[in-house]
Amino acid sequence: MKPMLSTDLNVADTTVEKAKIEVKNLNFYYGQSKALKDINLSLPERSVTAFIGPSGCGKSTLLRVLNRIYELYPKQSAEGEVLLDGKNILDRSQDLNLLRTKIGMVFQKPTPFPMSIYENIAFGVRLYEKISKAEMDSRVESALKRAALWNEVKDKLNASGQSLSGGQQQRLCIARTVAVKPEVILLDEPASALDPLSTAKIEELIDELQADYTIVIVTHNMQQAARVSRQTAFMYLGELVEFDRTEKIFTSPREKRTQDYITGRFG
Amino acid sequence: MSAVSEAVTTSAMRTREATVRRFALTDTIFRSATRLSAILVLVLLGGVAISLFAGSWQALSKFGFSFLTTEAWNPVTENFGALAPIYGTLVTSAIAILIAVPIGIGIAVFLTELCPRPLRRPIGIAVELLAGIPSIIYGIWGLFVFAPFLQTTIQPFIIWVFKGIPGLNSLFAGPPYGIGLLTSSLILAIMVLPFITSITKDVFDTVPAVLKESAYGIGCTTWEVTRRVVIPYTRVGIMGGVMLGLGRALGETMAVTFVIGNAHRISASLFAPGTTISATIANEFTEADGELYTSSLVALGLILFIITFIILAIARYMLLRIDRRAGA
Repeated sequence: MKPMLSTDLNVADTTVEKAKIEVKNLNFYYGQSKALKDINLSLPERSVTAFIGPSGCGKSTLLRVLNRIYELYPKQSAEGEVLLDGKNILDRSQDLNLLRTKIGMVFQKPTPFPMSIYENIAFGVRLYEKISKAEMDSRVESALKRAALWNEVKDKLNASGQSLSGGQQQRLCIARTVAVKPEVILLDEPASALDPLSTAKIEELIDELQADYTIVIVTHNMQQAARVSRQTAFMYLGELVEFDRTEKIFTSPREKRTQDYITGRFG
Repeated sequence: MSAVSEAVTTSAMRTREATVRRFALTDTIFRSATRLSAILVLVLLGGVAISLFAGSWQALSKFGFSFLTTEAWNPVTENFGALAPIYGTLVTSAIAILIAVPIGIGIAVFLTELCPRPLRRPIGIAVELLAGIPSIIYGIWGLFVFAPFLQTTIQPFIIWVFKGIPGLNSLFAGPPYGIGLLTSSLILAIMVLPFITSITKDVFDTVPAVLKESAYGIGCTTWEVTRRVVIPYTRVGIMGGVMLGLGRALGETMAVTFVIGNAHRISASLFAPGTTISATIANEFTEADGELYTSSLVALGLILFIITFIILAIARYMLLRIDRRAGA
């Protein structure tokens, strides 16, 4: 696990790193009510960014804008720009299926598909790639190894994904997301339904994955944010209050509201 | 002081015990009442089965097993066989289900996944209204509107298309009567459609939103989400809907009696008139003179009873096997 307040304080400042995702003047509406107010944010490539804040502050909403999953629901709408490698993904011409292969998502509750463990992973791959059985086998194996699940399931790949324990199911979902080779992985409170041991495994996994992926994690657990992320965004009532390097947020926040929240005075 | 409070406690205890006894009594009554209701179902089922057996005994003992394999149905010579009505029942129901299941699932997918919100309720209500139409109305509509339409347009066209193709040309052989097996199947398909649709729609609504979101989240289209996630997740419920529809199709009497032609014979052509078990019983019960005739009709009822039972049993077994294979 990554030690809290990493000693490598010489990590480049977030502003000079290459931005994978840039959010510009983003507003979001559930029907009439405004859930996100003028969000501006830049997520650097190949690192972990955490969104923290009390319930209802809009952190999950912001995450759901990034792969436009909110569009499944007709009354939700977003205004502004979200640039992925400089291209606005909120543009009407953006193909949603293509976008979602680039930006994978893991949810709070594990959501294995109603099929075997092997198929849970092969399914997503098969949607966009035609590969041989042997290639698929190795793809499934490497995804499961990546998610630190291979040793536990290698003898029962044909068992139902739903027969696994909660922590295993969540790692299966991460393996499934990794297998389609996305560029960004969105994690919506991925460990909140899991026991401490499974949580530790997931956090370890996140730490390893950031070598290859840009990761955004929403979490209620401030220790978790401190442990896994390089930058942290604190949100409150639909506003982005403060966004900085994680150690800065947790040791010397600029805003009083941030300080109140991380010291447990509200939220 | 302590004596007084003790006395109060004892009397309080006594009232409490009385209350508890009263509760125990109502509880016993409640328990036996519910048990009785449950037993009543078994008694009714057993009663129906026994009376069917008793009523059909004469026919079954006279014809034996050949009752099931004889096509002839001759009230004059008192020679009865159930093969034609069994064939008609199974074929019309099977075709009806084959037509109604894909359409029903299609409507359910449209309503739950794709339909614009303002249209959702009107279409849903229209489908449910279909289920509310009495079967006699399907019957007269089938006989006076649908059958003539098939006779003059669709059937001649199909006969012409398949004329040169071996196999299909005997399946769709003329002359176009309008009424017949296929017409009955189509009417049955319309009648079972609302059952299949509304059950499928209900079970589709039980799929967790987050499961669908994760499927969309790896880049699935609506078709892929439906095909690979929604339908597998709900297959038990869909099966239930299909079985309910099949049960309805097997037993449906009035509408079928109007449009099937009531001919006791088995033809290769789906355009030919035929009969079903329930249509035969409904048509001939009033005219059945002679005990053997009546008994043969009751025997037909027994067969329908058994067919329905077997089909339900097969459905259960299939569901069991699917679940076991999925490792759930």
